[in-house]
Amino acid sequence: MTELTAAVGATRYAGSRVPRVEDARLLTGRGTFVDDVTRPGMLHACFVRSPFARARVRGVDASEALALPGVHAVFTAADLNDGVHEQWYTMMGRATPTTPLPPLAEGEVRFVGDPVALVVADSRYVAEDASELVDVDYEPLPPVVDYLGAEHAGELVHPDYPGNIVGAMETPVPAEVEEVFASAAHVVNETIHQQAYAAVPMETRGIVVERSGASGELTIWSATQAPHEVRAYCARLLGLPEHRIRVVMRDTGGAFGQKVMVSREEMCVMLAAMKVPAALKWIEDRRENLMAAGKARIECGDVRMAFDRDGAILAAQIDYLEDAGAYPIPWPVGSGMAAALLFPGPYRVPKAAFSAKFVFTNTAGRTAYRGPWQFESLAREVLLDIAARRIGIDAVELRRRNLLRSDELPYTNPNGMPYDNVTPLETFEHALAMLDYATFRREQAEARAGGRYVGVGTSTYIEPTTSGMGNFATEGATMRIEPSGKVNVYVAGGSSGNSIETTVVQLTADALGVDIDDVNTIQGDTAITPYGAGAAGSRSGGMTAGAVREASAVLRDKLIAIAAHRLEAAIEDIELAHSRASVRGTPSIGIGYGELAELAYFRPGELPPGVPAGLEVSARYAVEAATLWANATHVCTCEVDIATGQVTLLRYIVAEDCGPMINPNVVEGQIAGGTVQGIGGVLYEHLAYDVDGNPVATTFMDYLLPTAAEVPVIEYGHVETPSPGAGGYKGVGEGGAIGAPPAVVNAVADALAPLGVTITRLPLGPSEIVALVEKAAADGRPAER
Amino acid sequence: MGEVLVELTVNGQLREATVEPRLTLADFLRERCRLTGTHLGCEHGVCGACTVLVDGAAVRSCLVFAVQADGAEVTTIEGIGSPDGELSAIQSALRDCHGLQCGFCTPGFVVSVSAFLRDHPNPTDQEIREALSGNLCRCTGYQGIVKAVRQAADAGHRGEL
Amino acid sequence: MKPVSFEYHVPETIDDATKLLAELGDGAKVLAGGQSLIPMMALRLAVFEHLVDVGRIAELQGIERREGGLWIGAGTTAATVEASADVASMVPLLAKATPLVGHFQIRNRGTLGGSIAHADPAAEYPAVALALDASMDVMGPKGRRTIAARDFFEGHWSTTMEPDDLLVGVSFPVWSGRCGFAVEEFARRHGDFSLAGATVGVQLDGADRVRRCAIGLISLGSTPERAGAAETEIVGRPITEVDPGEVGRLAVAGLEAVPADLHGSAEYRKRVGAAMVARAWTAAITEARDG
Repeated sequence: MTELTAAVGATRYAGSRVPRVEDARLLTGRGTFVDDVTRPGMLHACFVRSPFARARVRGVDASEALALPGVHAVFTAADLNDGVHEQWYTMMGRATPTTPLPPLAEGEVRFVGDPVALVVADSRYVAEDASELVDVDYEPLPPVVDYLGAEHAGELVHPDYPGNIVGAMETPVPAEVEEVFASAAHVVNETIHQQAYAAVPMETRGIVVERSGASGELTIWSATQAPHEVRAYCARLLGLPEHRIRVVMRDTGGAFGQKVMVSREEMCVMLAAMKVPAALKWIEDRRENLMAAGKARIECGDVRMAFDRDGAILAAQIDYLEDAGAYPIPWPVGSGMAAALLFPGPYRVPKAAFSAKFVFTNTAGRTAYRGPWQFESLAREVLLDIAARRIGIDAVELRRRNLLRSDELPYTNPNGMPYDNVTPLETFEHALAMLDYATFRREQAEARAGGRYVGVGTSTYIEPTTSGMGNFATEGATMRIEPSGKVNVYVAGGSSGNSIETTVVQLTADALGVDIDDVNTIQGDTAITPYGAGAAGSRSGGMTAGAVREASAVLRDKLIAIAAHRLEAAIEDIELAHSRASVRGTPSIGIGYGELAELAYFRPGELPPGVPAGLEVSARYAVEAATLWANATHVCTCEVDIATGQVTLLRYIVAEDCGPMINPNVVEGQIAGGTVQGIGGVLYEHLAYDVDGNPVATTFMDYLLPTAAEVPVIEYGHVETPSPGAGGYKGVGEGGAIGAPPAVVNAVADALAPLGVTITRLPLGPSEIVALVEKAAADGRPAER
Repeated sequence: MGEVLVELTVNGQLREATVEPRLTLADFLRERCRLTGTHLGCEHGVCGACTVLVDGAAVRSCLVFAVQADGAEVTTIEGIGSPDGELSAIQSALRDCHGLQCGFCTPGFVVSVSAFLRDHPNPTDQEIREALSGNLCRCTGYQGIVKAVRQAADAGHRGEL
Repeated sequence: MKPVSFEYHVPETIDDATKLLAELGDGAKVLAGGQSLIPMMALRLAVFEHLVDVGRIAELQGIERREGGLWIGAGTTAATVEASADVASMVPLLAKATPLVGHFQIRNRGTLGGSIAHADPAAEYPAVALALDASMDVMGPKGRRTIAARDFFEGHWSTTMEPDDLLVGVSFPVWSGRCGFAVEEFARRHGDFSLAGATVGVQLDGADRVRRCAIGLISLGSTPERAGAAETEIVGRPITEVDPGEVGRLAVAGLEAVPADLHGSAEYRKRVGAAMVARAWTAAITEARDG
């Protein structure tokens, strides 16, 4: 197999801001989102949902609903749940414990919004009418709402989980670590709280399931990040053979982790589809999405760090507690542990200790959201700024003394995480230079003298991307040069805005030496595209690059072999560019890909000996390392109006090292989107519950997403340290949502430090900020700086 | 309840249907006219993904009943740009500036921005951001969208459809 | 989120509309712009058997100088108000409030009359109407009558109109002399309902003393509020002796039904309200003084 050499038309497209191939259809409203799918005779589903956080279900009377014209069926747990054969997610494996996931609530409802019955009708309008007529006899029970007290609440969310504990890892703090804390010059200790917020993609969840009775085939259109996972899960769930299920996703309208795993509602639709005479469509509405699609981020940590006299970190400890809701998907303990393991971050930390505990509550289940473990960065970076103020060192200087330099790598963090190929200090300095930190501090002093509160905050993190674990470890590509010489490339994809079509086309065009317009891609169709774990865990860039590399290498060899034979030249003298194979030094001597394809497909007798017919290959890439580490620094400046508590973000800078970039637009776009989600999480978004477990923010009037009027211009700095993966690429999708919240919190805290305000709790809406300012004044607290 | 006959022009084509009064204009367009480019992101008038032009004015089609649009001229995303796929100036600018990712909010932005630039040809940056604040995007962080509007305005585009 | 079914009526005249409302009784609701009503129906928080669409009634349109001031037809959209030169010159407070009403897409459909009849204390138009002592022009089964703004707003989403009344228009008095107007509100995001806001009008005499002033409060009660005590306190004083902060404090001092929710407590809203009054006061005074 030949290496990618200069003999191919080099890298024309990779690394450049190629306009997206998805845009033509999306800009003109011709995308195919799941609600755009219509099937003959299609029926519509609507869920009846619990209005109680916890209640016994004594009975469901659907008679009035069934009498409504246009209603086909009303299913309850008794109708559907027995249809479940196996329930487990491929990523987790068969052996990982699963928490209860009854498709429909069985016997007891466990959160407001818990689906109790499924109505099937001619239209969504009628289905909603019918769902109001379903009479459920509830006997309310005392709910467990606050995760902080869940372990000792007395009531159980699930009968088989005493203390409402989903899982825990608690080991006593090693004596040597305790000793460090006992003797250190400085110890800083805080409890950091983050509130519940969620992915909230603009497109809600949705699925269409169509059974073809005679052939036993099932076709599913799904708003998903992982079409093959939908297929696998469905096959297990229904006890159907995997090869007769086809899952298609063309366009998914945002996901951010919410659409990786099959959810309970989707399970219900799969089960119900086996019992209705036509395709069954369920499109979630926004209220359902905010109430029941799952929540994230609600967690807290008792965190402490020990420093020597000069501010060098000696030890870091986190005791982490996570609210898993009633029905977490998937089992939250595995990924939640990352919040503890990564707490030391990209810093030189000799010793660490941690514990982690995950508890059930009668609220929406925890689901993955962009950087699900990001609490580690929030807690660490906020604590570092607090420590800097208390020790009396500038926050930036404290980072300088402790951030890992690239020459210290590989470095294993005190919890065993093996960092490599990252540039924490260098990237940090890059970001600070972009800000011109010294000038900002001067401007801040002037502003303070004028009675204005401005501040700067930074955050620096290291992120595991492109995991080599389980079904994430490989990615396949099928690549075909058609008889005309045009190229098709098929990968599993799973893009919900990640631009994987564009990046795969760029890479393929480069790899085969063709013009980008001569490459087409189809993704996300299990009948066409090879197995892939989907777009999750910041894996798509690196993994599809590897898949394209593997497949294109085979095709390139073939093109070269056929051309050399045809042109009577040596194999090493053949160059590929612009869909043409030519002889180096005599460019006029060449043969186009169309001609080569004709030979390969129609005149196999004329092929060189040993070269099989056709120009199509499927190949699979296995990532070279267990993790491809990436790092970034966020720097944010802000002004706080203490009369109202309003925060205005002034400058926002991200310097990141995701390795070389396939398409800088795509990288920056991913960073921007994640950053604004992080900003939203600090200043605007709160999936709040009242004391009875009623969700308070169930519409966009109360769940506030940032708009264009609230967000700053984001400035980007790029450091490019190659990874050991294909092309040297690393993942980048999740970073914005990891780095932004601490940078914003630290900026606000820096702005309010003269008032004696310490911030350890989110969200930071305007009323919370005013409360902090008023409390600090009432406490007569001295300025922290 | 009593169905009503409505007649309206959609992207220049006359459409006639008998509808329930409660059918929203958004659903009328998506289901009756099979124009699925208008998207439903919230159905309570906040996200703007359903924005269309009714008699030239940008409105949230989830907050209009089809019966209220009787006799009106409606323009949806499918009516913007040429039938053979040539993009309007706004659409091109969004493409140039990486102003979309998943594309779900995009039709709403295209329609809103087209109306905005038509009526405000020389907007300040602040005016652009405020005009965009009625459309939500979750993917882009608005960076490319703001740039695209700035670029289109600076090039003298008046939101031509 | 689809609404419950309803019967749809589209009268062409005010008379037809009021007759219909009388006939149909409690199960009927007026549909104007729908920007407040339709979301509530989509969420199934509001259910009506009949909607009476007044959007085709020509008599509800128009912006006209009349004896009582500037008369604006109830069916006039906020966008039309925003574009009106007459409103800008004759009722500047209304002109300044309008860009804060939601987003331009909402203003393209939402009507002045709809906003006032909906009587959301967090809306701008009711506060402006109250501040300026506007008169509501109402048609009922027994004929036409006028309700003064101070007698119009009864509670959260409720007015003193009867179910079979139709708001036909609103007359805004026109101020003359050395006047200044300002609207300041604090919302979490651009276009959101505010957490607290102030609409201020002030008129100065030749010696820069306050001749009259009007302070309307947004989101600080179950209805729009008028800071009457603050106004009384300020009238007659030279502006150099009026501290904006004091105006703010006075304006919120007597408020009893300040809302509290996820976004802020009553105390928080009062604090912000005071700040908004202070800022609006300063802006209005500057405009009045500098002309």
